[in-house]
Amino acid sequence: MKRRWSSLFTSSLLVLSLMVSACSSTPASQSQGEAKPAESKPAEAAKPASTTPADTLFVGITSDQGTLDPAVTFDNSAWKITYPTYQRLVEYDGGTTEVKPGLAKEWKVSEDGLTWTFTLAEGNKFSDGTPVTAEAVKFTFDRTLKIKKGPADVYSVIKEIKVDSPTSVTFVLSKNFPPFLSTLAANYGGIVNPKVMEKEQNGDLGQNFLANNTMGSGPYQLSEWRKGEYLKLTLNPNSSVKPALQNIFFKIIPDATAQRLQLEQGEIDIAEGIPNEQLKALKDLPNVEVLQQPSLFVDYIYVNSTKGNPALQNPKVRQALSYAIDYDALTESVQEGYATQMRGPIPKGLWGYDESAPQYKRDVEKAKALLAEAGATNLTIDLLYSDNKAWWETEALALQAFFSDIGVKLNLKKIAYATSREMIDKGEFDLAMGVWSPDFGDPYMFMNYWFDSVNFGLAGNRAFYKNDKVDELVRKAASINDKAEREKLYKEAQLITIDEAPYLYLYQKDFLLPVSKSVKGFVYNPMLEGIYNLAEMSK
Amino acid sequence: MRQIITKRLSMLVLVLLGVTLITFFLSHVIPGDPARMMVGQRASEETLQEVRRQLGLDQPVWVQYFTYMKGLLAGDFGSSIRTQQPVVDDLIKFFPATLELALTAFIIAIVIGIPIGILSAVKKDTSWDHAGRFFSIAGISTPVFWSGLIGILVFYKFFDLLPSSGRIDLTVTPPPTITGLYLFDSLITGNWTAFGNSLWHLALPACTLAFAQLAIVTRQVRASMLEVLGQEYIRTALANGIHGPVLLFRYALRNALIPTITVVGLSFGSLLGGAVVTETIFSWPGMGKYVVESIAFLDFPAIMGFTFVISFGYVIINLLVDLTYYALDPQIKE
Repeated sequence: MKRRWSSLFTSSLLVLSLMVSACSSTPASQSQGEAKPAESKPAEAAKPASTTPADTLFVGITSDQGTLDPAVTFDNSAWKITYPTYQRLVEYDGGTTEVKPGLAKEWKVSEDGLTWTFTLAEGNKFSDGTPVTAEAVKFTFDRTLKIKKGPADVYSVIKEIKVDSPTSVTFVLSKNFPPFLSTLAANYGGIVNPKVMEKEQNGDLGQNFLANNTMGSGPYQLSEWRKGEYLKLTLNPNSSVKPALQNIFFKIIPDATAQRLQLEQGEIDIAEGIPNEQLKALKDLPNVEVLQQPSLFVDYIYVNSTKGNPALQNPKVRQALSYAIDYDALTESVQEGYATQMRGPIPKGLWGYDESAPQYKRDVEKAKALLAEAGATNLTIDLLYSDNKAWWETEALALQAFFSDIGVKLNLKKIAYATSREMIDKGEFDLAMGVWSPDFGDPYMFMNYWFDSVNFGLAGNRAFYKNDKVDELVRKAASINDKAEREKLYKEAQLITIDEAPYLYLYQKDFLLPVSKSVKGFVYNPMLEGIYNLAEMSK
Repeated sequence: MRQIITKRLSMLVLVLLGVTLITFFLSHVIPGDPARMMVGQRASEETLQEVRRQLGLDQPVWVQYFTYMKGLLAGDFGSSIRTQQPVVDDLIKFFPATLELALTAFIIAIVIGIPIGILSAVKKDTSWDHAGRFFSIAGISTPVFWSGLIGILVFYKFFDLLPSSGRIDLTVTPPPTITGLYLFDSLITGNWTAFGNSLWHLALPACTLAFAQLAIVTRQVRASMLEVLGQEYIRTALANGIHGPVLLFRYALRNALIPTITVVGLSFGSLLGGAVVTETIFSWPGMGKYVVESIAFLDFPAIMGFTFVISFGYVIINLLVDLTYYALDPQIKE
């Protein structure tokens, strides 16, 4: 009997070991296959920075893409595919928010700002060889406006598009809109091959086809999309640009730790999905660097200047609150230091940013004095926030502590996101937390939205701030096309709004990207966060 | 038998109806607006209304439900808001990956779990038993996201033996789609490169998922074996000189398997639905990952499609479990 049991045990052990070996054996095909780390052992000190081919870039992304149609998608993460596969009339210039010629080699705008005429450069071709003409430009914008989704809203100012000649196209606007040029450089300005109409189904203007395919004239084209696994870009054979990187794989790796390990092993070159708290550890790796740049995503507090606690109507009280905050300690505790204190409404990196504008620094005595001058002693105010951003809870507690130092009691009111939006829209708060990022690279996105008194509520002026001089300045800046003049007007308005402090200007979050040291030539553009200038990059 | 199946199938329709009803209304009362997610925070009210109209979200919820059900009866799951593709196409792409993972994990759990369970029961209260019980408790109490990461750390980072993500290498062409199960498809088309490569990719996620399931199998087999081994007919058999494997497998195991099948069968259902975490850790392109992305986008048709398929699978498994039950135990008749 004894022996029987032991033979049974032996056989089950055998099964077990078979399973384990099935779980761990490397099939022959792999060991002879493509470049894997050359017999990498954990103790090996000098690991190659990248173990993948030099003409192929591997980017780890966190989720699969939705539709890729430039006339539909409003999702930044899809833009990393569409931006290099399409071209626009104008393009963002390097790392700046200003534009340079793209498909259009030059353009002019009429005195009243209503007519924009673009002259196309010759020689640009879609990936199937069709030349890019003025007809294609007209087709693209007509299509976007007919589809009537998010991007159509951005171009609602377009009244009519006229083809003057195969290389000249004119946009007629319904009103003067100086940021128009900047909107053309955004992803939805990508010019689509009119042949997409051959793929039309049930009058969808090719939306179904373009959801999964690209039809642009950019240096790359989408050649393969294995859903849930990766998207692969290869060269557009008809493009005049000859990039060094021949293939780009966007590998979908949802788990942050898995991404980090693959980056460490050199299996991917860029890892997008690693949270800030894990980045510090990455900085010590020999083959990886973490790029850090201020983004245009700002975190700030709306101070209700007309409808909240009456004390807040006095600019001195708002200034006192601005002086109470220890900005460095705040960014350290809330964003692990990966943030830059704002100077005023226009963030660093966007044109119109004023390096010389005054910046609030913690000064408890001054804050107390200002409160005394305003006669606001024993002030109790509410701070409204929601669970929309994970860090808001910590931020609220930090603010509570700062304000108590100057004798202001802050009540924290955390409510559901949807409800908080409604309350902000109606002005039912004293202080409220918010974030903002621009849709196009123009200070209009901040100055006109935040301060023009016609935009009260969620539309943008969430502080319910009204100052006739500021209204006049920002409206004038939005009505002329001379950039230098506009910059001057915005500067003046900025100084007033910093002084009167209808918002507590906290910080711009930093853009952080762990990249293998072998990757060269990446330029970060704050308007194109998460988008790579693939054609200029190499390994 | 036929009567049972007919009865069960008609129940199935009712269950699925209930599932669609609950999922539909639950997902629609969650605050949040997919149209808003599509057009961006600052879009005008007109654009927002237009997109709502295009998506049919401007209708009252019950009208939306009936429209959905009408489509569903015709086999139309609607179109995903996020990918703009018919949900059915997405499900066909993602379901086989989940099924392959769950099936492999299931087979591993059974092949290892049953012997360990038997061993534990037969060698009750010896160190074999303790080791077996420790193994199963470890399995059940270790969260998958943790054991998965440890697996990646050990087999991918330290030993560099197994890949950490995906179903197949980027450079290996997957087998032509017949069932969508890479192992099966590559096997029947004789594509050994793809077979080896997908087995290699499957190993770590399947073992991770199996580890948790193993515990359930082992515990159940042990408990029922112990119960059966204490019964009189076993003693009678022993007295008649029957012992060893014959006693164990022909007499005891057959009876012990009946409750085991129920538990194990149902756990397969939860394997299908519970592969979500495993799929996320191992970048496995299955339904779990798809539905997580869909939920984040409030993609109602995709969420509905996923729930429907999983519930359908669950109900079918339930039915199969019961049928196996009848087959194993002739005493159970209605």
